[in-house]
Amino acid sequence: MSGGQHSERGDDVAAYVLGALTEDEARDFASHLRECAACREDVAALQHVADSLPSAVPQRSAPKELRGRVLATVASEAELRNAGRRPEAGSRARAPRERWQWRFATAGLALALVAAVAVIAFSGGQSRRVIQAHVSAPGASASLRVVGTRGQLQVEGMPQTPAGRVYELWVQRGRHVHATDALFNVTSAGRASVGVPVSLAGVRAVMVTAEPRGGSPEPTSAPVIVATLG
Amino acid sequence: MFNSLRPGGGERSGAHLNVLADEELMQLVYRGNAAAFEVVYDRHADAAYSLAMRMCGQRSLAEDVVQEAFLSLWRSGARYDRNRGSVRKWTLGIVHNRAIDALRRRAVRDRRVVVDETIEERVPARERTELEFARRDEAREIREALQQLPREQSHVIELAYFGGMTHTEIASMLGTPIGTVKGRMRLGLEKMRAALGEPGEVVG
Repeated sequence: MSGGQHSERGDDVAAYVLGALTEDEARDFASHLRECAACREDVAALQHVADSLPSAVPQRSAPKELRGRVLATVASEAELRNAGRRPEAGSRARAPRERWQWRFATAGLALALVAAVAVIAFSGGQSRRVIQAHVSAPGASASLRVVGTRGQLQVEGMPQTPAGRVYELWVQRGRHVHATDALFNVTSAGRASVGVPVSLAGVRAVMVTAEPRGGSPEPTSAPVIVATLG
Repeated sequence: MFNSLRPGGGERSGAHLNVLADEELMQLVYRGNAAAFEVVYDRHADAAYSLAMRMCGQRSLAEDVVQEAFLSLWRSGARYDRNRGSVRKWTLGIVHNRAIDALRRRAVRDRRVVVDETIEERVPARERTELEFARRDEAREIREALQQLPREQSHVIELAYFGGMTHTEIASMLGTPIGTVKGRMRLGLEKMRAALGEPGEVVG
């Protein structure tokens, strides 16, 4: 029951704007607000007083390390969100290949330097190993399961691609990066399991970028996942 | 209007971004512009951290709260609605909610709930702009309005807003009926409202 007469609710207004109701009570009061214009007016009148309370506290400087952490996270997420948006025509335009190499180099620096952990076992003459990939998105992880020359990439906690984009899987042989047919999206929980559709023989790394829907013949943005086979 | 700014790029446009109002920056933040976010962060991080420290009393927790709040602002910039007030107040509202969540999650109730008047204000040395002066005036008025309340009223307001306590918890801590606690909150806020006059917000 979310209702109740205004007269019964008048004293909840102050507790509500101060955040002093429990979650359930606040939800209940919010639905009462939809029905009660008098309470809405009271809330509007007192909300600005509550909103001004932060000015009353002693002012401090936010730590520099905090700034570094927040901005690093934002920079790496921006890289993903804007992946593939081409720079506007102008002096900075680069040939696609050159742009790719340039962006790859910057992304390499941005990727967290997590040591790749490879678990190697032998089963029926086929080597099996699990390679932890470098992932630029904070909180996300990815691993490449390799059995013989087949690979399966598993990702967790990846952000959704921006609208109109899709993740594309690439393999690097020697110095060249080759497209595969593997395009994928992640679940709302950020999960995906993707088979590498080509043989991993001679492959140095498996990578993922965000590309326009339908995929690209060559990467147009920095990789967000890199699994190095070594 | 923002054609000169590449979406999401613009790191080299930092100087131009500085002249934009918060509300304009938020439109760029929504479009994934990290440089615009940086300007918003630099304008409000000190106020956010000050509030978080006052509420959490602990640097590590306060930092977590501020980090969560700003990342949520970055990720959901679309939800900012200028009708709901300035970007600063909106940001501080997020910090307040996050800090309350953090305090309520915390098992041990070792909250700092009393304003420590002896804390030295460590205001960053920066230009004393008009905006800074206006904010300091506003801060002084609000502190005075709070201090002029009967202690029993300011106490419940502080316990609720800065301590993150519910009215029930406050009532049981003070050994006072819940109705009395709510009544003191309401009377206190109404007196502050009368003392402060109509909302005249410092917008930056």
